[in-house]
Amino acid sequence: MQDFPVVDFHAHLGNWGRFGMLDTPELFLSCMDNAGIDVACLNCIFHGDSNRGNDRVAEYVRKWPKRFVGAAFISANYPEEMVPELERCFGSLGMKFIKIYPHYVRVAHDDPLYFPIYEFANERGLAIMSHARHYFDPPSVSVYKRYEGLVKRFPKINWVMAHAGGGTSAETARTVRDFPTIYVETCSSGLRYGGIEYAVKKGRADRVLFGTDMPLLDASQQLAKVIVCRITDEEKKMVLGGNAIRLLNLKL
Amino acid sequence: MGKVDLNFKPAVPVFDANAELGRRHDRRNLMDTPEQLFAEMARAGVDRALVWHPNGAAYDSMEGNLILQELIHGDSRLVPQFFCNPSFDDFDVFTRSVKDAAVRSIRMVPQYQHYPFREWIVGPWLDWMEREGLALWLPATYTVFGDTTELDATDVYDTVREHPHLNVVLSEIHYSNISWAVPLLKSLPNVHVETSKLTIADPINRFLEFMDDSRILFGSRYPNSTMGIHIYALHHMGLPESTVRAICAGNLERLLGMG
Repeated sequence: MQDFPVVDFHAHLGNWGRFGMLDTPELFLSCMDNAGIDVACLNCIFHGDSNRGNDRVAEYVRKWPKRFVGAAFISANYPEEMVPELERCFGSLGMKFIKIYPHYVRVAHDDPLYFPIYEFANERGLAIMSHARHYFDPPSVSVYKRYEGLVKRFPKINWVMAHAGGGTSAETARTVRDFPTIYVETCSSGLRYGGIEYAVKKGRADRVLFGTDMPLLDASQQLAKVIVCRITDEEKKMVLGGNAIRLLNLKL
Repeated sequence: MGKVDLNFKPAVPVFDANAELGRRHDRRNLMDTPEQLFAEMARAGVDRALVWHPNGAAYDSMEGNLILQELIHGDSRLVPQFFCNPSFDDFDVFTRSVKDAAVRSIRMVPQYQHYPFREWIVGPWLDWMEREGLALWLPATYTVFGDTTELDATDVYDTVREHPHLNVVLSEIHYSNISWAVPLLKSLPNVHVETSKLTIADPINRFLEFMDDSRILFGSRYPNSTMGIHIYALHHMGLPESTVRAICAGNLERLLGMG
């Protein structure tokens, strides 16, 4: 067994019955302990009023400050609440980065609807995690062009493409290579063959972030994707924790 | 700091309950030869694999099963699983082929092959399988050309409960199938579950709350997924070694009459 920091960049709070997703502290902590995860970055995307979920996240972080880090979920369905909730999350709640979920508004995240969030994040050099592509996107959408525009307009934001580190998209890899503020995160239920290798070898090892999607997905399985893939041990350590620690300036 | 095993090798024998072997017609698999399969098995520490050929679902089960046997070429590390289309295959010819090849398990994809999994179609076939002690694999979903067909849970429930001595393995249960799969497993003790798409948090311990470990089988869904992922995870879920041993190989051996 090797001893090095492991950070899960993508975990959720909340029960989601239709998918059997069960959320209890006991389940979270036992899954993390079994997998060898030190810290999980939590977000809660299941409420229209973002503050309700963010309060739950903050409660976990307060109770287990060495095990959880908070990510602020900001709902774009209520644009008037976005900045006040951001101020609360990065003030009294001590959140570390932002999670947005464009699926709920069916508006892609390069739309000006989100710009108040981005202006807030850009001023502070925060990271923002979002799916890179959406089910409502027309087939012609280019992820590369989407992020090219965002990076140009908001150069101090670090953009994390959720799930994009588990696939084998050449366009995603090129986006990561060309823009130094782009990261990919690894969780996926597909457990696709070769996904992590692709992200590391075709993209950049220093910008792949291990994530689990816990408790929708299992921590040990998601971690195993990194363990059994064909990259070096040093690259595995970067993916599993080093990159997240650097990105979020975590003190473990 | 978290303890992670970068040099992991399985501590128990491993028998994969779900590996695809051979070329597909609808896309090129990353790996489709026996040599590539053996290399992956060696890398993951898998001793044997239950293999099926995709042609058996997409076109003709008899032809697919024949190609499968050619690919296996008598290598004992690969155990054949035959596809069956009970709405099309000739009963006498098919059952003879199973006997001749000493096959111990059958795979059906009713929705993809456009027949309902109902007693009036599959009943005689399931009666035969019960008599012969053959196990039945039912994938929850089957995808060809990017289109996915899904197993009808009510059909499975109604039909399988008429065959209490038939061992049925629900294969490739995804989190989107959990809402029906868990009640089904609770209702029918002759139904088992294969792990390849079982990716919900702490899946084995959660399933062990309502069923025993003899009904869970390790499967990888190779070549779509890496064999080693579930094996590593099974060793890092806080399970007793006896449970890991049963899931990784023992249960499949028993179902196939090899234990």
